[in-house]
Amino acid sequence: MNIVALFKLVPDLVEELEIDQNGTALNTDFLRLIINEFDDHAIEQAILLKERSGARVSVLGPDIEGADDVLYTAASKGADQVIKLTGDFQGKANNHAMARAVASTLKELQADLILTGVQANTDLDGSMGALLAEYLDMPYVGYVSGVNTVDGKVVARKEYPGGLVAEMEIKLPAVLGIQAAEQPPRYVAVSKVRQAMKTATIEERPLAEADLSGGSTIHRMFKPEAGTRAEMIEGSADEVAARLVGIFKEIGVL
Amino acid sequence: MPFRETFWNIPHWAEIGQYVLGLLTILVFAYGVFRRVKRWRMGKPEKRLDRIGERLWSVLVDAFGQVRTAQDAYAGIMHLTIFWGMVALFIGTALATVDWDVTHLFFGFQFLINGAYILYELILDIFGVLLLIGLGMAVYRRYFIRPSRLQSATAWQKALTQNFDRDDAYALVMLTLITLSGYFVEGLRIAVSKPEWAPWSPVGNALASWFIATGDPTNRTLHLTLWTIHILVAFVLIASIPFTKLFHILAAPLNIFFCTIQPAGTLIAARNDDQIGVKEWRDFSWKQLLDFEACVRCGRCQDNCPAFASGASLSPRNLIISLKTHLWDTSSGHKLHGDVISSKELWACTSCRACVQVCPVYVDHLASIIDMRRYLVNEGEVDALLQKTLANLGRYGNSFGQSERMRAKWTQPIQPVIKDARKEAVEYLWFVGDYASYHVMFSDITRKTAQVFQKADLNFGILYDAERNTGNDVRRVGEEGLFESLVEKNTAAMDKCKYNAIITTDPHSYNTLKNEYSANGNHRLVFHYTELLDQLIASGKLQFNRKLDYRVTYHDPCYLGRYNGIYDAPRRVIRALGCDLIEMPRHGDRAFCCGAGGGKIWMEEQPDVKERPAESRVREAAGMSGVSTLVTTCPKDLVMFRDAVKTAGLEEKILVKDLIELVHEAL
Repeated sequence: MNIVALFKLVPDLVEELEIDQNGTALNTDFLRLIINEFDDHAIEQAILLKERSGARVSVLGPDIEGADDVLYTAASKGADQVIKLTGDFQGKANNHAMARAVASTLKELQADLILTGVQANTDLDGSMGALLAEYLDMPYVGYVSGVNTVDGKVVARKEYPGGLVAEMEIKLPAVLGIQAAEQPPRYVAVSKVRQAMKTATIEERPLAEADLSGGSTIHRMFKPEAGTRAEMIEGSADEVAARLVGIFKEIGVL
Repeated sequence: MPFRETFWNIPHWAEIGQYVLGLLTILVFAYGVFRRVKRWRMGKPEKRLDRIGERLWSVLVDAFGQVRTAQDAYAGIMHLTIFWGMVALFIGTALATVDWDVTHLFFGFQFLINGAYILYELILDIFGVLLLIGLGMAVYRRYFIRPSRLQSATAWQKALTQNFDRDDAYALVMLTLITLSGYFVEGLRIAVSKPEWAPWSPVGNALASWFIATGDPTNRTLHLTLWTIHILVAFVLIASIPFTKLFHILAAPLNIFFCTIQPAGTLIAARNDDQIGVKEWRDFSWKQLLDFEACVRCGRCQDNCPAFASGASLSPRNLIISLKTHLWDTSSGHKLHGDVISSKELWACTSCRACVQVCPVYVDHLASIIDMRRYLVNEGEVDALLQKTLANLGRYGNSFGQSERMRAKWTQPIQPVIKDARKEAVEYLWFVGDYASYHVMFSDITRKTAQVFQKADLNFGILYDAERNTGNDVRRVGEEGLFESLVEKNTAAMDKCKYNAIITTDPHSYNTLKNEYSANGNHRLVFHYTELLDQLIASGKLQFNRKLDYRVTYHDPCYLGRYNGIYDAPRRVIRALGCDLIEMPRHGDRAFCCGAGGGKIWMEEQPDVKERPAESRVREAAGMSGVSTLVTTCPKDLVMFRDAVKTAGLEEKILVKDLIELVHEAL
């Protein structure tokens, strides 16, 4: 079975976010990127499946700063193939464009099971998995927090509000949006990652031409404006009372 | 002429039989030693033959002189009398044999005659008495006082205890038998031959008076019987040395000779072969295996261990005993990790080094604990909090998971602006450290440190956002790769600066910068700020306007005290401030760890902890009469103790302050 785990890099919220001069996107000068946490779980889930029932795991992501670290870490966890997609990722690539472009690579990889994070802080709608499924003509289940393979099918656990859990059987090939792996992503010792840097090879594949149709356009990006501050009334009880009466009269309730 | 016929009343066959038995004894002994050495050699190689002179000196001081053993008075006197009593009697017996069967037999002369012989008899009688006193003390201690550190704690240990109990009793019984039978043989010989110099053997002579009435030939028969018992017990005892706890007679001096001779703060790097860390016992080095074998189960490590005192599952004594037993356990199929040593034990260690410091036979518990941790880290077996912290350290270079751009935020209000050591040459490069840079509790104190430096006209600068965690505790957690990468980053940043010496706020940073970064070619002087303040005060560059009349007590941080031997400098600074310094019972090299070191501050608290080390420590400080302030010189201590003061409800009784706060106040 071929499992492909997809990841993207999102702004690390440790740094303060700044908006660029046009006011429609983040200022990338100070942006530090980190693996989308849900994608990290998707990779972990792929490795867990491989360890449990055997599979070939490929990990796939965009060729931007930080991707090598993610890929070498994945290799040291046990990924068989680590791939970065080369191309222009600056700004214009929306989820529709990305999904269409990645879909063709996934077809080449003959993926049976595609795991991706159910959402990201740059994609709170969580549309990536669903779009991929659409372009690949595969079933999609999101908010998955555990997967098992049974006779060429998978059984996914999905959590519902109120502490309910559903198990559903899905025919392969399929796309799953992972909310959490069965166990938190493991720690990989630095020496192991360094070892992987020597032994693993990151494959580069060109990303198909971006077709931007279908994506949304941001007109304005801004930080929430602070509301009017509360006014503290100080002084003796009589003074405070007098000021209160004044305010009530000003706003017309008295 | 006073002399002794060594084999008086001993038939020729018995004398010959003695030599045959002696030869057999040597063979069994040699086989036993060979068997042990062969096992040690199954460990990984390690070079331990540098600086022979220092090694021999350690053997002289602590194997023959037993200085460390004597630090515990009762056990020290007990052990020294047994040891020197046995040594003297063994030499005495050997001399008598040589005198009779070598020099007399082959060369026709004896040296144990006249005055020399009388002195010989007297000395041996006295040493015999000392030996019996020591044995009596040992029996009283082991079976009547029953110190807790000699008992076994865990169920698995208790299963082994039966063997240990037998082993302990065996040594005492055999030594007592040898001594008593020796005295009786002497007494019977005197009773029969009645030499005029008999009073020079006071004990033998006193015993003889019991037997004179019995008369011959009963006494001669008794003498021969007891002589035979004496000889048999002695040979059995010697032959059994490599098979019982008595093996420490050999293993302890060997272990002391092969000890880690580098500074205490230099951890042995992870062995870089196919297996990272220790997975199975054969992954330990031969010296670590020797460590386990040299252990005499005295339990001093356990008595001084903060993890054990807090109720955590670690006892350094039990750990070493378990490893020693596992080394020879070929049949049970127990796995080192899980069956023999639990990860809970390994993670309970605070790396405070109290165990290593007190071990009379120089066992290095820490080296083995960290080697086993290295394996766990490499397998990803770390708790969630530690995992997050290690990830933060890898990504951001600090344990707080904050941006490096925030590292020097504390400097903002300081005027004049602190020099950027990357941009201009400075005399002192101040390595501030994570806690002093990022922790909310500490930023004010760090500013005060800067102001004190400025007041003393120190030409200093910092690395600003290029500084990273030094990795001292990362290394002791067992994350060697991350440590190396932090060293590389810090070294690269420091190499770009022009400076003469490094000052640190944090003893942990101090330790690794001083003792471990030198492996990366950094040979600059490193000072802890207390050492520098001490120098500045002595040279008059730092003068105080106010005299502080507080009554304070001082906590020695592990990485300043035990690891680097800095006990006096901070105390001199405290006294220079005018403070009245009262010592806690646990001070100097016996200072009780706050519980933060070795990465413990980054781990989840274990549920089995009854009293956290920091709480035990602040209670100790608060219990000192009239003491208002607990002074420390380590940012982690301050954070731990201030927290402990709150949880222990001692806020009214004691304040926790960094020394620099007092210095700042006195300016």
